[in-house]
Amino acid sequence: MFLNSVVLILQETLEAALLISVLLVFMRLRCIRPFWIISAIAAGSAGAYFFALQMASISEWFDYMGQEVVNASIQLTVLLILAIFVAQNPGATHSTSKPQKDLGVIICTLLLVALSLTREGSEVFIYISGVIGHPSHAQPTLTGSGIGAGIGISAGVLIYYGLLGLPTKWIALSGLLLLSLVGGNMASQATQLLTQADWLPYSKILWDSSDGLPENSILGHLLYALFGYEATPSLLQVFSYIAGMLLISLCAHLGSRKISFSTDQKTTDHNASVNR
Amino acid sequence: MMVLGLGLVLFGHYSVAGTPVIEIEIKDHLFFPATIEIPANTKVKLLVINRDLTAEEFESYELNREKVISGNRKAVIFIGPLPPGEYPFFGEFYPKTAQGKVVVIDQ
Amino acid sequence: MKSIRVFLLASILAILTLFNFVAALQGYQSSLLEAEKLFDSQLLQTAKLIANLYVDNTTSNLNYLSTHAYQVWHDDQLLAASNNAQSEAITDRYPGFGYANFDGYRWRTLAYFDHNHDNWIIAAERTDLRFILAESVITKAVLPIVLGIPLVGLLIWLIIGRGLKPLRDLSDQLKNKQVNDLTPVETPELKDELSQVVQSINVMIRRLGTTLEREKRFTSDAAHELRTPISALKIQLHNLEEDIPVDNESFAQLQSGVERMQHLIEQLLSLYRSTPDEFSSHFTSVNLYQLAQDVIAEQHLIFEGKNQTLALEGSNNVIEGNAFTLSTLLQNLLSNANKYTPTGGSILVSVDENNNHICLKVEDSGPGIAPSDYGKVLERFQRLNNKSEVIATQGCGLGLTIVQHIADLHHADLSISPSSFASGTAFSILFKKAPNPDEKRI
Repeated sequence: MFLNSVVLILQETLEAALLISVLLVFMRLRCIRPFWIISAIAAGSAGAYFFALQMASISEWFDYMGQEVVNASIQLTVLLILAIFVAQNPGATHSTSKPQKDLGVIICTLLLVALSLTREGSEVFIYISGVIGHPSHAQPTLTGSGIGAGIGISAGVLIYYGLLGLPTKWIALSGLLLLSLVGGNMASQATQLLTQADWLPYSKILWDSSDGLPENSILGHLLYALFGYEATPSLLQVFSYIAGMLLISLCAHLGSRKISFSTDQKTTDHNASVNR
Repeated sequence: MMVLGLGLVLFGHYSVAGTPVIEIEIKDHLFFPATIEIPANTKVKLLVINRDLTAEEFESYELNREKVISGNRKAVIFIGPLPPGEYPFFGEFYPKTAQGKVVVIDQ
Repeated sequence: MKSIRVFLLASILAILTLFNFVAALQGYQSSLLEAEKLFDSQLLQTAKLIANLYVDNTTSNLNYLSTHAYQVWHDDQLLAASNNAQSEAITDRYPGFGYANFDGYRWRTLAYFDHNHDNWIIAAERTDLRFILAESVITKAVLPIVLGIPLVGLLIWLIIGRGLKPLRDLSDQLKNKQVNDLTPVETPELKDELSQVVQSINVMIRRLGTTLEREKRFTSDAAHELRTPISALKIQLHNLEEDIPVDNESFAQLQSGVERMQHLIEQLLSLYRSTPDEFSSHFTSVNLYQLAQDVIAEQHLIFEGKNQTLALEGSNNVIEGNAFTLSTLLQNLLSNANKYTPTGGSILVSVDENNNHICLKVEDSGPGIAPSDYGKVLERFQRLNNKSEVIATQGCGLGLTIVQHIADLHHADLSISPSSFASGTAFSILFKKAPNPDEKRI
């Protein structure tokens, strides 16, 4: 009970902590109050609770494939919002961005945090409510959950301060890199779920690294939660991982170009008015 | 990528009828049967019936499968086609007792 | 990193938690492995014990602990079994440990061949129970690590707070320093890291002190040095007056120029010699309306000269201030309005009360200023590049700067807005209302 509580809670907490700490860094760069993220965490927790309550009926949708389809849809939606988020050049500091542009960034952040927590938190709710009933399970489950959550949140705090501790010009770039990994992870997990639901065809296993780095080792669990590490990924999973990463990188690239373009235009306008 | 994914979703839903079905029961946090045998290179539909009141999560690293099965409900999991070998699976919520494996036999 | 204390606490605690919890996890895993080994060796002992109990081949069932099950096989014959064991073999007769599901539980199994009697002993132990036992022991060892983290966090918080105390003391000292307090900063508890900071601050304070001292001396010297030649100049002008025809325009210009220069120097010296705090300690009650009446009476000639209408509106309103500088302020505003309003225009002075503030406003019907230039107007020595108007009028750009300075000395706000005339500018100065003498007593 102890160990699987650690593993389960750690995976879900770490995945959420990575996303939230990177988003918090961008909020910090934009001087947006972290209040928004806190309210999104509350909304996500409530969403997770209701999702968990409805899980039994949701699972029976689409010929018993409801769970896979709904989870995959949430993950693809997260990927899409992530793309929109990075396309707004969230790393631009306040001097080059107008305050009203923050609204798009805030809305994306809220949706990202709330949706991710809804999906990840529901599993935690289902697990805890199923396991805690047994009196001999209570203590190991709670201790294990504490350790799992502790490791996950600590990793999030270190990612946050680690990013902020970088030289200023690297902060946004590193944040975007992490977000592209989150995007790849989302795409790959969604592919896995849709393959499991038989909505996507089987594709062959590309490699097997379960001897060197098994998925059920501590490091394997950490890497799975952070970057979607799989010891035996399928071709389609690897393909969608790369596609997800490229999508986020491309949107981030376009976003940063758009901003610099409009800054150029503003400068020429200014010059024109001076000449007049 | 999204368009490609959508295309795969639309065309991927095929040939469910000819797939062999294997039933697994979960009772008292145990899998019955704990060992199932399936033919190599064939897609198989696992029908997992949870007789316990509490939820269980069917998980296998080797099969790349993960699915929550609510208490007193059933779930469908497709596996394969697989090369011959042993593929352990377990219940993530009660991993000490809920253990089983898929043995893929070359015919 | 808004707060050093929060940053240090969060990052130290995160590293501690991460390493401690991962270590606890490793400890748990290896302890569990050891416990498994221990339980397995116990199971082996049990199997051997059972083997020795069944020396003869009599079939008898034995009630045994419900946590264990056993079977004794001789070839394909079941010699003995615990009553919770099934009738078929629990596990293959292949020596070693394994797992099996029966009787609604998962069991750890052991097949043991007794060479002395050619019997197979199959012993089994419920995995859930042995796991719960092992886990409860190990969790008790891990629990203090989890519970200790909040305590460690509290201690780190307090220690960091203690460590940052000298820094906090220093910043409090600097925050509470009076404007004119140029004594060196002291740190009661000088830490190595801070001594350099305190030293540098003290060097800067000393330099600031000498600079201020030099500036003060310069101002008083300049006052003396400038006053003397101007007084001499005025005497010379007075002497010249008798020798020069009354209608000599150059002489009149010279005279008014010297007057203006003297006035300006007096103003500058009186204003810049004092800081706002020194200045406000000499405030008296001033009736702004009466003051405006006096200034207008003094200055009405220049308005008549340009055929301009000058009106005063409002009521008696009292503020705390310095009457001399306030008249200077109004004079400057009026001469400014006079300059920039064309011949035949109107000027309106008003003294009104609103929202506990007294507003002194001078409006003109001149060409006005573009709202985007309002900020520039107040800049030092800024002259509006307003074509013909300025060329025709004399004046020095110091006027509005002096107005601004006087407003600052009275803690009043100067603002510019369009006037209530069809065109033109309004300069408003918002003073705080003088406290009511009755309220003062309370």
